[in-house]
Amino acid sequence: MVYTKKNPALLIMGVIFVAIAILAGSGAADGVIGFLKIKKYVGEMVGMGYAFGAIGVLVGAWHWWGKHEEGNLDYYLSSIAGGIFILLIAMVVRWFGAPLVAVASKGLGTVMADKYLHDVLGLNYVVLGILAGIITVNVFGIPKWAENGVRLSRLGLKTGVILLGTLYSLAELAALGKLSVVMVGFFVLGAVGLVLWLGRRRKIPNSMGGVLSAGMGVCGVSATVAAAPVVQAKSVEIAYTIGTILIWGVGCMFLFPVIGHILDLGYIQFGAWAGTGILNSAQVAGAALAYQPDGIETLKVAEIFNITRVLFLPIIVLWLAVWYVRLEETTAGPQVNVGTVIFEKFPVFVLGFILMFALSSTGVFAPAQHYKGKYFDNDIAAGKLLKDEQAATLSAEAGKLQRADRKEALASLIQNRKVMTIDDETVIRGIFNANVLSKDANKILKTATKVVRHTAKKISKFRQWITLLFAFGLTGLGMQITLAAMKQAGGQPLVIGGIVGTTKAVLSLIVILLFVSETI
Amino acid sequence: MNPRSILLASHGSDGARAAEAAALDLLGEGGKLFHLVVVPDFWKGMTGDDWLNNAVTRARFGKYVEDQLAREVGLEVARLADAAEQRKIAYENSVRLGKPAECLAEAERSGAYDLVVIGAPRPKGAPGLRSRMTPETLVRALKTPLLVVPHPG
Repeated sequence: MVYTKKNPALLIMGVIFVAIAILAGSGAADGVIGFLKIKKYVGEMVGMGYAFGAIGVLVGAWHWWGKHEEGNLDYYLSSIAGGIFILLIAMVVRWFGAPLVAVASKGLGTVMADKYLHDVLGLNYVVLGILAGIITVNVFGIPKWAENGVRLSRLGLKTGVILLGTLYSLAELAALGKLSVVMVGFFVLGAVGLVLWLGRRRKIPNSMGGVLSAGMGVCGVSATVAAAPVVQAKSVEIAYTIGTILIWGVGCMFLFPVIGHILDLGYIQFGAWAGTGILNSAQVAGAALAYQPDGIETLKVAEIFNITRVLFLPIIVLWLAVWYVRLEETTAGPQVNVGTVIFEKFPVFVLGFILMFALSSTGVFAPAQHYKGKYFDNDIAAGKLLKDEQAATLSAEAGKLQRADRKEALASLIQNRKVMTIDDETVIRGIFNANVLSKDANKILKTATKVVRHTAKKISKFRQWITLLFAFGLTGLGMQITLAAMKQAGGQPLVIGGIVGTTKAVLSLIVILLFVSETI
Repeated sequence: MNPRSILLASHGSDGARAAEAAALDLLGEGGKLFHLVVVPDFWKGMTGDDWLNNAVTRARFGKYVEDQLAREVGLEVARLADAAEQRKIAYENSVRLGKPAECLAEAERSGAYDLVVIGAPRPKGAPGLRSRMTPETLVRALKTPLLVVPHPG
């Protein structure tokens, strides 16, 4: 079979990318750039515009005029059209769509405290990208020439997660890992158990209870796909379950950021809540990026929860297999081999994440002691040392401190005119966070800690790539969410799913508000 | 009306079974029943936003769904074939993937029938897949008289 379609679409998309690069780079689009306040994206528009424009033009020319024969070259190059199609939509939304929504929203004035409507609703490039994907597939359909490449979105997301591994410090990963295992363990197993219990009470077939419990408990459609053959779900049960999960997931992606903003949750709190309460792992990433579009701290937390959830998937599949065979008292069901289930269901990309984390810990990308991509180094220029008058201000207020460690750290700072150790830096952060000193003194302390913290350039690049990969992946994933599938939500799965989903979301929010603080 | 050849769309729901009974009654001995089963095309998008699974798991799911649908269709076909045989009605069937109304119109164009028979949509709130005949598409496309049998519920 020849996959490449003779079509000018890829060539045209390549030309559009190049045109964006030329207009942004030459200053011809300065008026639009100023109006939309998108100067920060000009570098991206030029770099990506030329790079992907060149790919689009070259491969597009081959698509349209070239001779295509069955084989690997045809298969792989045919997917470029779909990949560029997703990328163009994602980037047009990121560069122009989302900024336009922001300008319009700011024109309406603030709606909640000091927040604008688009901030409260999380209408940024990620959410709008997913929406653009959903609209594309449901209104226009995926063009034939793009079908083969739309699946690349999964590769984009998995690569994004793998690169995310570079951003964690050991302490951070250990703390988040413990928290996620406790939260996910309790809520995943609890949700699976609750669905199975409710299913028995409401007399639904075991196969339906099994497939629904996996979807509601672990990671939405992915878990349903993994569990359906194991519990021998009927077609109508699969349709009901996937419909229910998709509708619930899309709803949560919009609702969670709004609730998060109303409750003024911190990034860790929101990431943990989204990672526990939202069913679909793609929507978890979407909600996290919607909550914090200009940074990825929330996404980092949410993805650890996603990874923990997916690691639970083989366990849940095994549990359901044993449960189903025991209840149905059948030998006609699938033969369960523990090793095969674990081997097949284990998410290989998690190994990539671990590898990147391990590499990052060796100091390849940033000094090993980095925290959130920043590292301590007090070898600073003389101009950045504390000035005499600043030292005098701090000396005058030193008496306000009670704790010995704080007194010592401040004395060291005054004496050396710079922060000397990581421990001192932590203590000094504690001083200004405690607001014991005057505003001026706190400002001096903040600057003193800032000048000894440096951002690793490679990590900074990774952060940019991660954002782009998630924007690409989630837009492409939006193209696979059909209203026809969502419409299948109904029957007992909708009732049980509604009860369990709401219970999980509300209880996890309560737990997070009570026990999860903003520092990890 | 005394049709000798009927095109029946049925997938085994309550409404469709009422249509089956009406079609069998109308045909009587010696008639020809052509049974169309439509597998709705929403199944093509049913892996939705799954991205965590690997290709093996997704392929296994796809194969499982195909086999499951084939099993379910097979049961319906066997049941109706039996009923037709008991009444000495010639029976043929076909399975199509797509939108119900479009598939029925295509099936009608590809054969010669005296009557097309379908069941009425189920009442609101009744369980079942959301994949209904769109009457306007169907009525505009059909050249053969159409009988819509009331839902038993």
